[in-house]
Amino acid sequence: MHIIINILSVSCLLMGLVFFIGGAVGIMRMPDFYSRLHPAGKLDTLGIFTMVAGLVIYNFHHLSLGMVLLSIKMFLIVFFVFLASPTATHSIVDAGMRAGLRPWTQKKEKE
Amino acid sequence: MKLLGFVVICLTGGLLIYGTMDLPNWGDPASPASTHLSDYYIENIVEETQVPNLVTAVLADYRGYDTMFETAVVFCAGLACFLLLRDFRPGKNRYYRHIPTGVMLHFKNPDTRMIPGNEFEHMDKDWVPSDIIIKTVCRILIPFIQIYALYVVAHGDFSPGGGFQGGVIFGSSLILMAISYNLRTLMKRVTEKFLSIFAATGVLIYVGLGVLAMIMGGQFLDYGMLAPLVPWDPGHIRALGMLGVEIGVGIAVMAVMVIIYVNIVSEGRHDEGL
Repeated sequence: MHIIINILSVSCLLMGLVFFIGGAVGIMRMPDFYSRLHPAGKLDTLGIFTMVAGLVIYNFHHLSLGMVLLSIKMFLIVFFVFLASPTATHSIVDAGMRAGLRPWTQKKEKE
Repeated sequence: MKLLGFVVICLTGGLLIYGTMDLPNWGDPASPASTHLSDYYIENIVEETQVPNLVTAVLADYRGYDTMFETAVVFCAGLACFLLLRDFRPGKNRYYRHIPTGVMLHFKNPDTRMIPGNEFEHMDKDWVPSDIIIKTVCRILIPFIQIYALYVVAHGDFSPGGGFQGGVIFGSSLILMAISYNLRTLMKRVTEKFLSIFAATGVLIYVGLGVLAMIMGGQFLDYGMLAPLVPWDPGHIRALGMLGVEIGVGIAVMAVMVIIYVNIVSEGRHDEGL
């Protein structure tokens, strides 16, 4: 039983790490403001979800009322991040559009 | 005047730096904090105050004076912001929108003003169309942020938290409302009078608890003397006293945060902001 919990928890954490690394690489590598916000908004949110899910699964080692409450609180954090992070990204993109920043396009090669 | 201010600031800064010369070195094993003070706190706090959170016990009980004047400093910051920035003259340009047609009216004379009703609404100069996604999410989030702020204030003496942090979280929820809607929506719900009264009330609660302890026969801020007021739980009286103090700090910090924000973004006019 314990080994199953460990495997599940570690694989969730590793998945979260992959998402976070992808987000970080995306922020570094993407060409402009809008496309950089895309990994920042999406992958971080999903990364937090999988990370916290892994920690919650780890809590099943000591199943008690306190641990269940702790797990619920951790999922509440994820819930609010899910609400707040995409909205913040949306408002940043909105502000960029209003300020007149043009999205990046691939430059046409001169013939 | 500017020169005078510069001289005063340099003098104060110099005196403060001179004052730090007398402080013991960082991590000095012979300093009083390392020889007996920390040990005393760690050994005796739980017996003396019944508070599991040592940091709060040191800040709100053993160093009650210090925290009281910190709250007073926060209050003074709000007061200074109000005195420096508040501008009671009406703004020169006013914009109104006729809601059915969407036509904008621009009033250049500060004396003429229109009472916004069903047909017209008051607009900001740099008006941006309100975004329904941001508005809705903020409407969902603000109550949770406020409940969390109350939780942080109430948990000051049991777990990490306290009045300053809780007050800042509560104030930021109100600021979030001003950002996601507009400043007038906030000022309609939380008026300037309300904020000023709350900022003063917070400090008054703190000092009032101290004075109450004096009236009950102890020294200033000696919460143990308040025990007859809570006959059902006299053992935890110091924790309860700290909780009361934290509530006062929370109220003052919340009000001052909003006062500073509102005065800075609207240049003291309180009519339009970010």
